[in-house]
Amino acid sequence: MSEYSGNEAVVMKNVCKDFKVLNRHEGLKGSIKDLFSRDYKTVSAVKDVTLTVNKGEIIGYLGPNGAGKSTTIKMMTGVLEPTSGELLVNGKVPYKNRTENCENIGVVFGQRSQLWWSLPLIESFKLLRDLYMVTKEDYEGMIELYRSLVDIEPILHKPVREMSLGQRTLSDILAAFLHNPAIVFLDEPTIGLDVSMKAKIRELILGLNKEKNTTVILTTHDMGDVDALCKRIVIIDKGTKIYDNDIDHLKTYFGSYRTLKLKRADDEWEEYLIDEKTTDVMDVIMEKQKQMKIKDVKIDEISTEEVIKKIYEGGAK
Amino acid sequence: MHKRGLGFYARIYRKILIQDLKSKMSYRADFIISTFGMIMTNLSGFITFMILFHNFPTINGWDYYHMLFLYGFSLVALTPVQCFFDNNWNLRFMVQSGDFIKYCFRPVNVFFYFISEVFDVKGLGQLAFGIGTIVYAWIKIGIPVTFLVILKLLVFLLTASLFMIALMNFAAATCFWIKGSGYVMVIMFRFKDFAKYPSSIFQGIFKVIFTFVIPIAFIAYYPSLVILTPDNVPLLSWISPLYGILFVYLSYRFWMLGVRKYDFTGS
Repeated sequence: MSEYSGNEAVVMKNVCKDFKVLNRHEGLKGSIKDLFSRDYKTVSAVKDVTLTVNKGEIIGYLGPNGAGKSTTIKMMTGVLEPTSGELLVNGKVPYKNRTENCENIGVVFGQRSQLWWSLPLIESFKLLRDLYMVTKEDYEGMIELYRSLVDIEPILHKPVREMSLGQRTLSDILAAFLHNPAIVFLDEPTIGLDVSMKAKIRELILGLNKEKNTTVILTTHDMGDVDALCKRIVIIDKGTKIYDNDIDHLKTYFGSYRTLKLKRADDEWEEYLIDEKTTDVMDVIMEKQKQMKIKDVKIDEISTEEVIKKIYEGGAK
Repeated sequence: MHKRGLGFYARIYRKILIQDLKSKMSYRADFIISTFGMIMTNLSGFITFMILFHNFPTINGWDYYHMLFLYGFSLVALTPVQCFFDNNWNLRFMVQSGDFIKYCFRPVNVFFYFISEVFDVKGLGQLAFGIGTIVYAWIKIGIPVTFLVILKLLVFLLTASLFMIALMNFAAATCFWIKGSGYVMVIMFRFKDFAKYPSSIFQGIFKVIFTFVIPIAFIAYYPSLVILTPDNVPLLSWISPLYGILFVYLSYRFWMLGVRKYDFTGS
């Protein structure tokens, strides 16, 4: 282990994960064939990913649907075993020490509550305190911290099943941090929430990260989350890591890109992403002006959203 | 790393149970209706049984009250699986929807955590009914009431319950390999209906199947012989406690193997 400084929360080295999938045949005859078939094909969900996450970092783990994000998270949480490669979470192999690993991680899946459905939140907290064997002082300290960060009174005595989606997400995040884990995995924590709730949740995550130096691994499609929380992002596509750097670096990389916004006669805005190295913004405006009436013009820097879109489309290595 | 022994699990289970009961009581209408439903189900089963056996006074040498005893015995023996292991019925849906993964994120045994989530109160009605039936048959047959006989009854009731728990674990865990495996559970659960008949009515291959492969003969028949025919207890009855423990253990391993083998797609 000497090659590690001890400051790593997660170390992945050439990690691969393959799934065996049965080649299905069509029709009734095919179904019967499938029953006895040994005709499997191998699908690589994660290919040769190397990644280090340091303690206290918040990283955005991004990628289009089916890119291999959840497979990676499932390996880190000890649910799935990597096909090959080395994976250490808090210095241990998660799959071999699932229970031990679980003591040091927290997990939130945006759309799925992990709390006891019919219990008031405070009772869920108490059960979790017992499950994780949290000491009385630590537990009370954590509840105090929660009180200082969010207004938990209205939800504390409410059964989870009677909560709004926002309150439920909030509860799930609080529950995930309750045993003060070294790493918290957040999978789309703000999905389906309104703007103010999103802001509240982001503020809470930042606060907890700051107070407890918790490492946060965030997967999301919401670039607002990324902008608000992450300094560093890792992008994975088709199982391969395609980007791993600071978010600012990303914007410089695409620094020559500008978002041109044109207001049409019907007060609607049209947006164009332009690379100034190849195209002159004025040319585009003049070209467009020949086609339609332009009421207003705005030129912005490229947004994170568009950067990510560019990368998904294959713009960066 | 914290050590979590049997004491820990017992404490946690008790706490979850208390919380669950508390929240169930708070939905009063639901509680009353489901209890009423359970009583009606048992009553109709009992009436069917009465009608049937008043017309066939003996089956294979078993008279009415012995049959009644067996019936009550099977009801009590089926209570634990119904009260404590009812979440097995939800396993298939959880696995299919991907929700099952949440049980893998806690630092406790996955099987325990999953099973502890649901406690079904409805089973208690059946328990009361079963005890009543046993007591009634007991008096009518005239079995002596001694400490030893009571102890035997309790031990073998517990033994009998192990087999149904194991069967349902096996049946539920098939969903880790087979999509749409609901019918496996339904069939297994139907098999329990055979438990209320003396296994001596099964012959040849059925006897072998119901004794060793799908051991429903152990849900009531073999264990109850210890009480009913104390002078002529087959060896299988005596070894049934050990066999029951082994069977539950195997079903647990099978269930956990399913969790390990399952690739948690469908997120």
